[in-house]
Amino acid sequence: MTKTISYCWRLCATALCFAVFGLAGLGLGLVVFPLMRLVPGSRAAHRRRVRATFRMAMRAFVEFMRGVGVLTYEFHGSERLGRPGQMVLANHPSLIDVCFLFAFTPQATCIVKNALWRNPFTRWPVVAAGFVSNASTFEMVEATAAALREGQSVIIFPEGTRTTPGQAMQFHRGAANIAVKAAVVVTPVFVHCDPTTLAKNMPWYRIPPRRVRFTFRVGTDIDLQGFRNAPPPIASRAFNERLLQVFADGLWRGADEAPVQETGASKGLIS
Amino acid sequence: MQSPQQILEMLRTAFAELFEIDPTRITPATRLNEDLEIDSIDAVDLIDRVRRVIGRKVTPEDFRSVRTIGDLVQAIERLSKG
Repeated sequence: MTKTISYCWRLCATALCFAVFGLAGLGLGLVVFPLMRLVPGSRAAHRRRVRATFRMAMRAFVEFMRGVGVLTYEFHGSERLGRPGQMVLANHPSLIDVCFLFAFTPQATCIVKNALWRNPFTRWPVVAAGFVSNASTFEMVEATAAALREGQSVIIFPEGTRTTPGQAMQFHRGAANIAVKAAVVVTPVFVHCDPTTLAKNMPWYRIPPRRVRFTFRVGTDIDLQGFRNAPPPIASRAFNERLLQVFADGLWRGADEAPVQETGASKGLIS
Repeated sequence: MQSPQQILEMLRTAFAELFEIDPTRITPATRLNEDLEIDSIDAVDLIDRVRRVIGRKVTPEDFRSVRTIGDLVQAIERLSKG
């Protein structure tokens, strides 16, 4: 009985979250961000204000989702996000993990799919925040590299789409290619989402049997030295392999282990 | 300014350096995608290289219809004539 009540409540709350997200997207994009343009200042200053507002809105949205009881979350190591020229790489198990990454990464830009420019709820915010579209590979690489060289942080899902549960990860080489050319530092974020919710091709109303638990662990920076001497096509292939290995290791550790620390090799039972 | 043969030689060097592809595999009939497995990310680096060699601004549009090495030579010839 309590299970049924919980299920019904979470179903309604999920619908409410989608509605709030849509309205907030319209409100920010059509009212708040245009009004902010009236504030004097350079384009860069405007973009900073828009992104700061966007981040606060995402934080509020994340807390709202937690407040209505659809999810719980932990975020370990967020103080290491938002450094100048930082490429933040994450796996993408769920539609909403990006909200957490935005909520905890100051002044971040992001490579987002081109469809968001055609969605009325997301179009104006992505334009105002100056996010990068994946429509043209050439422009995506150039724009993202330029953002990193300028000192912006960039959030990228190297899979290029949501993670398929239960399958080995595959990375587009775009992230690795941009990293070897332009990133100051590359930092992985390992995302766990239990049980699976809002994965690719899952409709919003197919909610999981219990409250979702999200865990985010910011991993150790991935060393770029040694990948910068070869020409980009060769270097990016090697770095892509390295990234796959980092994510395979990082995700395998599981959500229940202690957050990743900047220590040396871990000691096993037999050392 | 450059003959097709010179452009082909330049491409042989570029493919060897960027992708470690044996120069003997680079002929006008070679297909970039099917034979050399050049994907859209590689194309970005290839275009960047062409831009540096001919010293002119180029855009992906200039290479839209390029399928083979022969097409690429023609496109570069056209661009360097400006």
